Amino acid sequence: MTSQMKQEPPVQSKVIVITSGKGGVGKTTSAAAISAGLAQRGYKTVVIDFDVGLRNLDMIMGCERRVVFDFINVIQGDARLKQALIKDKRLENLSILPTSQTRDKDALTKEGVEKVLNELREEFDYIVCDSPAGIERGAQLAMYFADEAVVVTNPEVSSVRDSDRVLGLLSSKTARAENADAEPIKAQALLTRYDNQRIASGEMMTVDDVLEILAVPLLGVIPESTAILRASNTGTPVVLDEPSNASAAYADAVSRLIGEQVEMRMESDRRPSLFQRLFGRTA
Amino acid sequence: MTAVRPVQLRGRFLTAVALLIDGGPPDRPFFAALDAQLRRMPHFLADAPLIIDLEKAPDLERAEDLRRLRDELQQRKLAPFAVQNATSAQIAAAADAGLISVIAGHDAPQRPTRRENTSRAAAPARPQVVNRIVTTPVRSGQSIVAEHGDLVVIGHVASGAELIAGGNIHVYGTMRGRAMAGVHGDENARIFCQSLDAELLAIAGLYRTSENLEHEVRKRSVHIFLQDQRLCVETLA
Repeated sequence: MTSQMKQEPPVQSKVIVITSGKGGVGKTTSAAAISAGLAQRGYKTVVIDFDVGLRNLDMIMGCERRVVFDFINVIQGDARLKQALIKDKRLENLSILPTSQTRDKDALTKEGVEKVLNELREEFDYIVCDSPAGIERGAQLAMYFADEAVVVTNPEVSSVRDSDRVLGLLSSKTARAENADAEPIKAQALLTRYDNQRIASGEMMTVDDVLEILAVPLLGVIPESTAILRASNTGTPVVLDEPSNASAAYADAVSRLIGEQVEMRMESDRRPSLFQRLFGRTA
Repeated sequence: MTAVRPVQLRGRFLTAVALLIDGGPPDRPFFAALDAQLRRMPHFLADAPLIIDLEKAPDLERAEDLRRLRDELQQRKLAPFAVQNATSAQIAAAADAGLISVIAGHDAPQRPTRRENTSRAAAPARPQVVNRIVTTPVRSGQSIVAEHGDLVVIGHVASGAELIAGGNIHVYGTMRGRAMAGVHGDENARIFCQSLDAELLAIAGLYRTSENLEHEVRKRSVHIFLQDQRLCVETLA
């Protein structure tokens, strides 16, 4: 089966929020990789940048020169959605809805976000919301209308605690939480910047430690990798870049996101040093 | 010729503290209790105008008793100047001791402290016990309250989460957050944890933080209870 073949479309379009609480854990990188991965598999996908004022997604996606109108313009009625959506040049199924760099989170309104999401639901299979860091207005509106959540976590205590806080908000401050008849948001953890060596030396938490605290299913483990930085700097979602363990891990995560059973792999992209290669696993 | 200065009269309102005397002439225990009270708020009553309320001490009508009371109060840096709710005999005795009689105004009775409440009978009717069971993990930043009753959590309690109960708290999962049982003063309330790693444990206001929990009880099944005003942590089986 080729990955390019269109699979069963989801019965209903799904809004997936990529969130974390803590900043710098890899939300935008993950949002870019996951949305590109979904589009690669034939799903019509749009990724929205909710980080109003700190616009980054367009750079990671490599379309920063093509931004004319943005999410805020659409919310305020200054532009139509079609004008603001940017079609990705590499994947025809992928669109990007960039945000404003000059405004701030107060420009987001619940009604405005809902209207835009409803309009997007008519056209797209997956709507990926890239949440800003924190738990304030921007982050709350990014998660409010979500059907599923991907909670991005690094294997260290402060990130895990913040993710736990966000999981609490997902189960209390969202449309699905407020509607007693609706199913709760399906939340999954995505462990990023996973470094086997630092975990072996006890500097970082293991997958089990993290999951024991978060008590949600694991969507994937993304190894710390130079491939990610390179992809970001060239404006390419990591799954579209040269093959690497990080891009393979994102591809696996996307498979799990659409409901496939994929075995968990934990391969690092770090080359063993000469010393380690010579002496093997003596440690 | 020197001009006679006109007498100036101005209205003045004044806030005074009333000291309620209960029973006969104040004795040593009374002054001991007063001293304890003053130690708790040393500056609050210093030189404060004070009225002696005789409503509950109708027998205190000897001038020398009142004079002694006045002296004792003055020694404690209080400024007694009047009596209220006094009988005519008491007013005469008070005048002899240099205290005037004032007509009782509105006074807000000081809220009785909790200790008094428990010692005196006729506690208010107990509110209905409502227990609460939570079957999802309690996340960091969440606060779960069982105002009147027990709180049972089946799942983990994350660090930064808070459990508050009028009664007992049970956690069937790892307890990393804060637990406050018996928040209305129930000293018989207990906390039960399947695996203890809590930030803070409190029963009826007495607390311990993770810093001063013994290492042996960490990650163990424990129950926490009050004994002789001490928070005890004991492993279960």
